[in-house]
Amino acid sequence: MKAPVNLPEIPPELGGNVKIMPLDVFYNWARQRSLWPMMFGLACCAFEMIATAAARYDMARFGMEIMRASPRQADLFIVNGTVTKKMAPQLVRLYDQMAEPKYVIAMGACAISGGPFKEGYNVVSGVDRLIPVDVYIPGCPPRPESLIQGILALLARIEHESIATMRAFQKTPDEGVPVPLLGPDLADWQTLWLQSHPELRAMPEEPVTEEAPSKPGRIHPLEPVPFGDTAKTVLILQSRFPRDVRPLEDGVLVEPRRLSQVADYLREQLSYRVLTNLTAVDYPTPPEDIPEPCIDVVYHFSRLRGGAPVAVHTRVHREEPRLASLTPHFPAANFQEREVWDLFGVRFEGHPDLRRLLMWEGFEGHPMRKDWREAYFEAEHKPYRSRFPNGSKPLTAEARTPFRANIRLPDGWLPGSEGGIEEVERLLYERMLSADRDPHKPLGTEELIVNFGPHHPSTHGVFRMVARLDGETVQHLEPVFGYLHRNHEKIGERNTWLQNLPFTDRLDYINGMTNSLGYCLALEKLLGWEVPERAQYLRVIMAELARIVNHMLAAGFLSNELGVYFTGSLYALEERELILDLFEAVSGARMMCNYMRPGGVAADLPEGWIERAGELVRERLPEKVKTMQTFLLQNEIIQARTMGVGVLPPEMAVACGVSGPVLRASNVPYDLRRAEPYGIYDRFEFNVCTREHGDAYDRLALRFDEIWESLHILRQALERIPAGPIQSHKLSPLLTVPPGETYTRVEAPKGELGFYLVSDGGRNPYRYHVRATSLLNLTPLSAMARGAKVADLVAILGSLDLTLGEVDR
Amino acid sequence: MPGLGVLKSLWIALRHFFMTYVDDLRYGPRRRYRPETLPERQGPHGRGVFTVQYPRERLPLPERSRHSPFLVLDATTEALRCTACGICTQVCPVQCIWIERAVDTETGRPLRRPAQYHLDISLCMGCGLCAEFCPFDAIKMSSDYEVASYERPGFLDALQRARKL
Repeated sequence: MKAPVNLPEIPPELGGNVKIMPLDVFYNWARQRSLWPMMFGLACCAFEMIATAAARYDMARFGMEIMRASPRQADLFIVNGTVTKKMAPQLVRLYDQMAEPKYVIAMGACAISGGPFKEGYNVVSGVDRLIPVDVYIPGCPPRPESLIQGILALLARIEHESIATMRAFQKTPDEGVPVPLLGPDLADWQTLWLQSHPELRAMPEEPVTEEAPSKPGRIHPLEPVPFGDTAKTVLILQSRFPRDVRPLEDGVLVEPRRLSQVADYLREQLSYRVLTNLTAVDYPTPPEDIPEPCIDVVYHFSRLRGGAPVAVHTRVHREEPRLASLTPHFPAANFQEREVWDLFGVRFEGHPDLRRLLMWEGFEGHPMRKDWREAYFEAEHKPYRSRFPNGSKPLTAEARTPFRANIRLPDGWLPGSEGGIEEVERLLYERMLSADRDPHKPLGTEELIVNFGPHHPSTHGVFRMVARLDGETVQHLEPVFGYLHRNHEKIGERNTWLQNLPFTDRLDYINGMTNSLGYCLALEKLLGWEVPERAQYLRVIMAELARIVNHMLAAGFLSNELGVYFTGSLYALEERELILDLFEAVSGARMMCNYMRPGGVAADLPEGWIERAGELVRERLPEKVKTMQTFLLQNEIIQARTMGVGVLPPEMAVACGVSGPVLRASNVPYDLRRAEPYGIYDRFEFNVCTREHGDAYDRLALRFDEIWESLHILRQALERIPAGPIQSHKLSPLLTVPPGETYTRVEAPKGELGFYLVSDGGRNPYRYHVRATSLLNLTPLSAMARGAKVADLVAILGSLDLTLGEVDR
Repeated sequence: MPGLGVLKSLWIALRHFFMTYVDDLRYGPRRRYRPETLPERQGPHGRGVFTVQYPRERLPLPERSRHSPFLVLDATTEALRCTACGICTQVCPVQCIWIERAVDTETGRPLRRPAQYHLDISLCMGCGLCAEFCPFDAIKMSSDYEVASYERPGFLDALQRARKL
């Protein structure tokens, strides 16, 4: 607070030309107008921060002229999004590197407390556990206005600071915040302190327990469903491998020892060339049709000529599960097998590099197993009984655990005993040093290992690439994931079917509309529900608008990363604002629309919406897209930076399970809207665009081609949309879904987005798996980067167009 | 001609820069800080400065715009509409709603009103499912977005904050 200051008299002969004021006032005035935020984005909220920096809200009005990529040049740390345990050490290190006096704004529910993902095993329960926070902005995500209001609140606080009392000017040295450690779980300094003083740990209150509802068995009809493509495949497989293959609902059950033969047969003889999805389901207490506890590993293969995918199940024991790896045959299995190893503990023999994918080495347990419980575990299923009718003493999750956080460390574990950063990274660096070695290299030049990210302005979020360089040439590159792994699937299996809807918006947060569309289609398949005509049109309109937003942003950010700086993305963000206005008018939220519902959509259009959208689609967007196309595609500098860079041959693209614009830019005409039409896409006239070279330029250009097709679809849809109901069923809050399983996919803007749902007939999904487009699209990254220059890495990565919310889930 | 593309790009950026001023010159100071001009400036035909001078002017929010839930008081009787049926606690994805149902002290039977109603605002994801599924329209989504605080937000007593629509 301001100390009272006696100002000296000003001699009258100075004629009022001199003014005396306390230094504090001047100092605070100057600092208030020159805060520099750090360019640091974690998750969804980052996009609202970017929107705040863009044309409409323009943070520069408050003296934040530019966002700094380096912490050493910044003094405002806007923590926007979910802080994961894997990211916590980096986040604290960034904070420590910032210059004093520094301020922290916790933006959004996740940064404040962990928010919707609070119960997740990889989520920090609020950034204030790690670093001191000055202003909190609730919201999910907060609007740009909320962020500005938070910044103004911070400025008001700065106004009352005094040099005499500020932490930065104290004589005692400030040693900074200790960087947390990764061991069996996250260990920040508070936790470690509590760990060494067990008597100080708060007594945990009794956790609220709930009887798990008895599970009806899953029923797989053994007689083939109506004779279609998949059924034919199943019959062929059965006759070819009579002893080891059993038919299931939409695929086969294969003995583990036959798995690679069946997969090869599918690819070579039946032209199922794409391993599109790979995941597992844990059955500790098996339903009736499964003889013993097992882990069911599921593979989905699909054909490039279209049609439904075929599912191949195989079952392994829960103790020490082992299975032959498909990675040598299908490179697309690489990351997905690592994910299954990480989350389920299935060891894939013959995998070239079986490390954990999302969690870190040394993390205790395989969290997607049904009997693995996080520290915040309250009950198997939502809704929790503690909330109603006796929710009189609301209890935060923190109050229930000894460490006051979602952390569980073995008793007596202290750093140094095991774990630690060297152990966590050891396998990675061993791999970095050994992979892709050329034994015949004539002259040994010294190689250098460089880390890009997880905090890097060109990695689209918290994504990390480790590159081994020879001079400027990339010898080997390993992507490192999991810095935004916020446990969608574990939380999703605890949620009820409806509660998952808003979570899907947060997968690929740039276009929430298509994500929830995919989930609703999957649910409708299980429920057998129809969707009214008008709702079908509304879905198409929203999905295509989202596609335009996504492609514009992808192009804008690519140009940003290539060094055009903000111009490209600012133009894209301007159009995004207008489309988001439309989304908000119809659904109530800008980004997290939560608009799709099983059986229809949430709300009908408000008055005048069609006209507004029509004006945008017919008049404004064509002009703007054309401008942007000229701006980026004809620019020789962009051409020089992207043409011939990161070439992805079609065979490799298919083998790696790549989809969406990345696949089509490699001249593979595969678009799910045509290959396996969903909704009413078969009624619209549009082209599947392809490009020939498969380089970064083609991927950029192809996105513009697709915008034109989306605009074409939108014009048709807006013209033809009929009147009528928008919802076919009245949704019950605790929706039950008949037993069964489905793998349903949509053509999201980034590619094939699939939902693998297993229902046991209850109110919660038994298994909820998201086939993440962006993760699969990153499979060929390592191969594309080999031999490229360091500067090309950002072009390659930017042209792949990833969203970390979806990569890591 | 090599270099023409770069020049074109530069021209686009330059034109964009000047057009914002040209458009504003046409209207003069009439448009500055005038909320009634916002729909035009922010609409599909807006060509001038796109910036909304928040906090001096605010974008009109659509009717459905939502941030966090609040309990509704009836417009005529000023009584709470909530009957403590608990459906909102069932649909809330983050389970941030805590309700204690009131109980008749004499008979011990549950009453149709909440004794306590708490919202953990630090968890709320603003999805609006509680408002959508409430059979009595007793909970609605507020669009108030100016909610920054210096303290970590936590449980809000929703009964205290109940208000009319």
